[in-house]
Amino acid sequence: MKIIGTSVPRKEAPNKVTGRARYANDINVPGTFHAVMVPARQAHAQIIAIDTDEAKKVPGVKAVITGKDLSVLSGDVMEDRPPLARDKVRYWGEPIALVVARDEAAARRAAGLVQARYQPLPVINSIQDALDKKAALVHQQNGSYTVATPPVYPKKHSNIADEANVTKGDMDKAWKDSDVKVKVHVSLPQIDHAAMEPRIAKAEILADGRVLIHASTQAPFEVQKLLAKYFKLNPGQISVTAPLVGGAFGGKAGVQLEILAYVASKAVGGQMVKIVNTREDDLATSPLGMGFEADIALGASQDGRIKAAEMRFFMDIGAYADSAPRIARAIAAQCTGPYAVPNVHTDVYCVYTNHTYTTAWRGFGHMPMTFAVERAMDELAEALKMDPLDLRELNAIRPHDVTPTKARLTRSNLGDLPKALTHMRQLIGWNGGRVEALGPGRVRVQGVAAFWKTSSSPPNAVSGALITMNSDGSVNLSIGAVEFGPGTKTTAAQILAEQLRIPLDRVFIHEDVNTQVDPEHWKTVASLSTYMVGRAVLDAAKDLMTQMLMVAASVLKCSPDDLDYGDEKIYVRDDPSIYLDFKDLALGYKYQEGDSIGGQLMGRGKFMIRHLNLLDQQTGHGRPGPAWTVGVQAVEVEYDQNTHQYRILKAATVIDAGKVLNPAIASGQVMGGMNMGLGVASREGIFYDSDGRLLNNQLRLYKLMRMGEQPKQYLVEFIETPQVDSAFGARPIGEHAVLAIGAALANALSRAANVSLNMLPITPEAIWRARRAR
Amino acid sequence: MLPFGIEYYRPDTIDEALKLYRRLRENHQEPVFYGGGTELLTRARLQNVHFDAVIDLKNIPEVRVHGRSGDWLEFGAGLRLTDLADGNLWPLLTATADRIADHTTRGQITLGGNLLSTIPYREASLPFLLMDEAEALVATEDGIESRPLANLVSDSFIKPGEFLVSVRVKGDEAKGIAYRSRKMTRQDWIDYPLVTVAVTRRADGSLRAAFSGWAGFPFVSSAVNHILSDTGKSARRRAQEAVAHMPVKALEDLHGTREYREFVTEYTLAQIIDELEDD
Amino acid sequence: MREFTRPEQISLSINNEPRNVVVYPGETLLYTLRGDALGLTGAKPGCENGDCGACTVLVDGVPVKSCLVLTAEIEDRDITTVEGLNQAPIQQAFLDHMAFQCGYCTSGFLMVGHALSQHVDRADEDRRIEWLRSNICRCTSYQEIADAVAAACNGLD
Repeated sequence: MKIIGTSVPRKEAPNKVTGRARYANDINVPGTFHAVMVPARQAHAQIIAIDTDEAKKVPGVKAVITGKDLSVLSGDVMEDRPPLARDKVRYWGEPIALVVARDEAAARRAAGLVQARYQPLPVINSIQDALDKKAALVHQQNGSYTVATPPVYPKKHSNIADEANVTKGDMDKAWKDSDVKVKVHVSLPQIDHAAMEPRIAKAEILADGRVLIHASTQAPFEVQKLLAKYFKLNPGQISVTAPLVGGAFGGKAGVQLEILAYVASKAVGGQMVKIVNTREDDLATSPLGMGFEADIALGASQDGRIKAAEMRFFMDIGAYADSAPRIARAIAAQCTGPYAVPNVHTDVYCVYTNHTYTTAWRGFGHMPMTFAVERAMDELAEALKMDPLDLRELNAIRPHDVTPTKARLTRSNLGDLPKALTHMRQLIGWNGGRVEALGPGRVRVQGVAAFWKTSSSPPNAVSGALITMNSDGSVNLSIGAVEFGPGTKTTAAQILAEQLRIPLDRVFIHEDVNTQVDPEHWKTVASLSTYMVGRAVLDAAKDLMTQMLMVAASVLKCSPDDLDYGDEKIYVRDDPSIYLDFKDLALGYKYQEGDSIGGQLMGRGKFMIRHLNLLDQQTGHGRPGPAWTVGVQAVEVEYDQNTHQYRILKAATVIDAGKVLNPAIASGQVMGGMNMGLGVASREGIFYDSDGRLLNNQLRLYKLMRMGEQPKQYLVEFIETPQVDSAFGARPIGEHAVLAIGAALANALSRAANVSLNMLPITPEAIWRARRAR
Repeated sequence: MLPFGIEYYRPDTIDEALKLYRRLRENHQEPVFYGGGTELLTRARLQNVHFDAVIDLKNIPEVRVHGRSGDWLEFGAGLRLTDLADGNLWPLLTATADRIADHTTRGQITLGGNLLSTIPYREASLPFLLMDEAEALVATEDGIESRPLANLVSDSFIKPGEFLVSVRVKGDEAKGIAYRSRKMTRQDWIDYPLVTVAVTRRADGSLRAAFSGWAGFPFVSSAVNHILSDTGKSARRRAQEAVAHMPVKALEDLHGTREYREFVTEYTLAQIIDELEDD
Repeated sequence: MREFTRPEQISLSINNEPRNVVVYPGETLLYTLRGDALGLTGAKPGCENGDCGACTVLVDGVPVKSCLVLTAEIEDRDITTVEGLNQAPIQQAFLDHMAFQCGYCTSGFLMVGHALSQHVDRADEDRRIEWLRSNICRCTSYQEIADAVAAACNGLD
C-alpha cells in the first residue's frame, strides 16, 4: 500500500468545487433568531448609561442584553473579559450590548438605536503609553482576576498582564567574551487573521436542557468546557458541532461568539439564535493578532559564534489577556531562534492597551519573535562582515544542544537545520547577500532567515480516534480535530488506510466534529494534529486489527500469529488461499450454520502528550513541546532605489518535515504560508487613530495580497529527518512557512535600501521614511 | 443585506424618473437615484445612509448612450466602467477608469456613480477635467440641462431631484491628445489611490494634469498646468515646482502621509513628463 | 416602469432553470440565492462590501459580486452559480491543481475562472490576473489558482 507520501486529493475536495461544502453559515433552520452586537464607539471610557428603549421598540426585537445582565468573566488563562462590556469599555469595537430579533434586518436596525453615554478615559494607544509610570490602567483589577490556567503573573497597579522570563548561563561573562555586539529594536503592528469565513456561532437550548452549539471554531471541546464552567452546566449537556471551517489561522481558537450565542438563546427561551460577524466585527470586535516590540542585543566572538542574547519582548495584547500568557511563554522558550546560544536573558511582557484584544495567530508568537531575532542576526552578520547564511550555519542549533529553557535536543526532536541551510544555498542560488545592480537605480538582492517552533501546548493535551466498520468491510474514522483547510481529516484517513492496507476510498471520515460523538481532541491548533491525531489513529488501527485477527484466528482455527492481512483480507501467512474478507468480520462472523461470533468491531485509539512541563517562574526552565520543526526561508527581490517600490521574484522554503505524508498538500501549506507571511510583511497592519479608533475595519482598507502580487516563483523543498515518535516520522509543518519569510524580506530590503528596516509592514513609504530618518 | 426596507422602481424614461421622484417626495419618502448600487448598498448596510426607495436609472436609453453624436463623444451615466474599457472610445478615459476598484466591481460601478461618488476619489472625472469642452447632461424639471463638468465637485452640481444622464467631450479635442494616466497606491494594485495623475500633452506642447487622491476631491489647477508646460525647465524641476504650488495641501491618511504623497506625486509627474515629451 | 414595492414572487433564471421565489425589493442577490427557498449557499458572504469576491456569481456570463446587486435589478437575466457548473473544466482544473485549502473563497474564484475560460476570447495571463484580482484567498499562494485557471483557459491539464 502506498498512500503515505502520495499526493491524494483532500477528501472533501469534490464538495469544495461544487459549492456543496457546507460551513456553519450554510446550514440554517427556518425560524432561527439573529443576534447582533452593538460595538463601543470609544476606546477607553466609563459607561454612564446604555439606553436600549428605542432598540426594544423595533418590531421583531425580542431582547436587548447589556453587560449588566451578565456576571460572567471569561478568558482561557485569566478571567478578565466580560462578554459584554460592563462598567467600562476597553477597546473601540468592544460589544456593549446584544440585540436578539426575529430577523437580521430588525436586529441590525435596533443595534443602531442603542445609545451609550460615556465618560472618556485616557486612551492607552501603544505599548509606550501603557508602560508610562503615570499611565491610566486598562484594568484596575489587574492582579486580582481568577487565574483559569496557570502560570500567569500579572503586576498589580500596572498594565502588565503577565511576564515570562528565561535565564541561562552567565550574562556578565558572556558580554565580556563578546567581540562584537549589535542591538536592534523592532516594532510590528497588530494584524488580523482575515479568514475568508467571518466568525459565526449558533446556539439552541432544548427543552430537555441540552445546549446545541454550531460554530466556526478550532476548539469545539474548549467551547464545551468553558460554556459549562461559565454557566454552571454539565459538560455532557453541551454538544458543540464544528462543520468545515473557512480558514482559521488561530483566530478561531478562542471562545467569544459562542458565549454570546448562548446568552442570546437563553434570553429568547432557548430558541436557536445565530450570531455572525460582519467583516467589520471580525476585524474590530473579535480578536486580532498581537502587536509587538522588541529590543534584541546579540554578542558574538570575532569568529561569529554567538555568546550572548539579551532580549526584551513587549506584546501589545490589546484589552484582554486571552491566550497571550501562553504566547509569551512560547516566545520565551524559543527566544534565541534556532541557534545555540549559551547565555540568555529574556523577558517577555504582555501589555494591556486600549486596542482590540488579541489571540493566537498562525505561529503563536513565533513570527514576530523570529522577525526580531532574524533582523538582529543580519545586523550581526553585517557587523562581522560575514555571509548571513554562513553565520546561521555556524550557530545553527544541533542535537545535544539545549534550548533556552534547557530542554535537551535530539536528532528526533529537533531535525536538521544545517542540512536545510545547505539545501537553501542551492534552491535560491544564494549569492552571499550581495546587492546586484540591474540598471539605473534598480538592484536585485536576496535575504534569508531561519525558524524553529514547537507546540507550546499544555502538558496534558489529548487526542483520540474511533473506528467503526461498515458491512462491506470499509471503515469509518472519527476524530476530534476540525478541518479548516490543511487537510487534517485527509491526513488522518491516509494514516488509517496505510495501517489497514486498504485504499483511501475505503476510509470514510465525516468532515464535521461533534463533541458528543467524536473523541476529544485538545484544540486544532499548534500544527499538532498530524502528530496527536496520527498517534491516536495508529493506536485505534492496532486495536481494530487485534480484534479482527482474534476473531479470524478462531474461525480459521489458528493462532493470530499465523495470520497476516492485506487487500481487505485476513489470510494464513503460509497459505493465503485460506482467508476471510474484512467484510465477513466487520459486523461479526456468521458461520454457515447460522451461529455467529465476534460482534461488530470497533477500534479505539488515544494519545496524550508526554514529558512536557510548565516553565519555571524564575528561570523559565522546562520542556515546552514534544519536538521542534526547523527550516530556512529566503527571498529574492528587485528594488527601485528611487521610488522604493519592490517586486518579490522568488520566495523559498526548506523545511524539515520529518516525513512528507502528502506532498501536494504539504507544498500548498508551505506556499500559502509564505504568501501569508509576505502579505503581513509587505502590507498588513491595523491602524488606530489618536483616539484609539480602529480605522481599517474592512478588507478594502486592511490590505491582503491579491493575485499577481505573489512572488513570481515559489520554491519549496522538504528534507526528511524522522521524528521517531510521530506517525511515519512526520513533523508539524502547518504554521511554519509564515515564520521567517517576512524577516527574509526585511533582510533583503534592508541591504537593498541600505537602511535597517526593523518594522512592518515594509511599504515603499516605510522604506522612504527609514532612509529619511537616517 | 439592507437593514431597512425599500421600494424599487425602474423607470423607462427620463420623464418617468423625474415624476416618480417628485411623487415619492410628496409622499414623504426618501428616494435616491440608483446606478450600479455598489456605493449605496455598502453604505446602507452600515446605516451610513438612509433611503426608502431606489429609482434605478439603468433602463433609460439616454443614460446608456455610448458613442459619437455630432462633434461629441457621449458617455451615458449608466455605463459600467467595463463598458468604457470594452468600447474604448476614448483611450484616456479607459486608462483612468480601468484602474478603479477591481475588474468584477468595475462591471457593476457605473460612470455616473463614480463621477458623483461620496468617496473622494472619483477618478473617472480626471479625463473630463483636462478638456476645454466637457459637459454633463443633467435631467431637471425644466428638461435636460448641459453643465460644464469643470464644476463637478461643487455641491450644487446636481440638485436634489435631478440626475446625471450622460457626459460628453468634443471628439476632436479628446482624441487628438497624447496622455498618460497613472494610479499610485500605498502598495497594492487594488486600493484607493495615494494619488492618481492624468496628464495630457497638446499639439502646442502644453501640459495639463488632473489629480485624484491628493485632496478630498479631484481637481486641475491652471497654476500647476502653467508650471508643467514650462519646457525650459527639466521634468524633475517642473514636477517639484508643481507639487510646491498645488492649490490645496495633500491629504494625510492611512494610505500615506502628506510628505510621502508629495514625494510620489513628484516622481510620477516627472516620469510622465519625460515620457510624454519623448514620444 | 417596473414598480416593486413589496415582497413579490418573481421568476429568476438560475442555472438554466426558472425558479419562482418570493423576494423583497431591497434584497441583495446574495441574500436571495442563499435564502431558504433557493438554498444556493455556494456563494459565500465574506465581507458584503464588494471587497473579497467570495459571493461572485455570473449574470449573463459576467462575474458579479452578488452582495452588491439587488435581485430586483437582474430579475430577467441569466444567473449562474457554482451549483450550476456541471463538470466544467474549471472545476477539474481546481481539483488537479489543489487550488484551494479551506474552500471558502473557492466558489467565487471558480466563477471568475469559469467566465474567463468560457466567455472570454483571449484570456491571456494579463487578463486572467486582472479578473482574478477581484477575489481574495487567504490560504493558498495564488499560484495554484493561477495555474488552475490557466489550464482551464488553455485546455491544458
